[in-house]
Amino acid sequence: MTLSSDQAAESLKEIDRTGRRSAQAYGYANASPFFVMWGVIWMIGYTGSDLYRHYANLLWTVLTLAGLAGTIVIGRARARAGQPHPGINHYAGIRFLTTFLAVGVFIAATFAIFGHATGEQQAAFTPLIVALAYAVVGIWKGPRFLVTGIAVAALTLGGFFLLHQHFMLWMAAVGGSALVLAGLWLRAV
Amino acid sequence: MEQPDNLIHQPVRLKIMAALKALPPGEKIEFVRLKALADATEGNLGSHIQTLEQAGYVAVEKDFAANRPRTRISLTRDGRRAFEDYVAYLRTIIEAKP
Repeated sequence: MTLSSDQAAESLKEIDRTGRRSAQAYGYANASPFFVMWGVIWMIGYTGSDLYRHYANLLWTVLTLAGLAGTIVIGRARARAGQPHPGINHYAGIRFLTTFLAVGVFIAATFAIFGHATGEQQAAFTPLIVALAYAVVGIWKGPRFLVTGIAVAALTLGGFFLLHQHFMLWMAAVGGSALVLAGLWLRAV
Repeated sequence: MEQPDNLIHQPVRLKIMAALKALPPGEKIEFVRLKALADATEGNLGSHIQTLEQAGYVAVEKDFAANRPRTRISLTRDGRRAFEDYVAYLRTIIEAKP
């Protein structure tokens, strides 16, 4: 059996289409547990920030460190489960930590430049940065990330401007839930 | 390669191989996810995976995750090479077009 060039082109198109969908689904499945974990962290952090305003910075420092530790644990568990090239994950881990650090420094530098920010302003800024990151990743890697980014940004801005008095609780309930739901959606086939 | 690899050329098997090739080497994909990617029924997909497994192109691993049976499939080294040869063959045909 020999193939015509049209048949060959059609097969190559199918390979490209399926390969892209597969890589996208792989990315979604990999990201899913991190979204769920950070969604829970948001729920705890924003609820705690509302209840214990004076300890909000301390609480977020502890939660961020816990989130980083959780991220490393999940990443390592995934590496053990499937990835036979530990080197790839080692470098991915370093890249993740470096990215996290860069974003942290950027946020701190922004607050330093703009001066005093209220608790609500600080609490809204980080989710907007997170939403931007999801949106950018989504533009390149898959529409579900983009939808999540847009949803997080819209919910954050909506809560900030319309429910300013209860913004922390809004972010705990709606922002955290949005991340958890996004994580479950990413896992869905 | 004068002829296409008929094991890969079949449409569902082509999708299976393309889906597996898009993953990092050695990475496994769950049966349910592969079913969605290949747009195949469970029985149809199972039979094509068996064909590819017998040819040594894919490896099938069955275990339990959260007390539920789980089947995961990965591309073998031979499978990866065969798929790369198949893609190269397709490109040769297109490039040879008068």
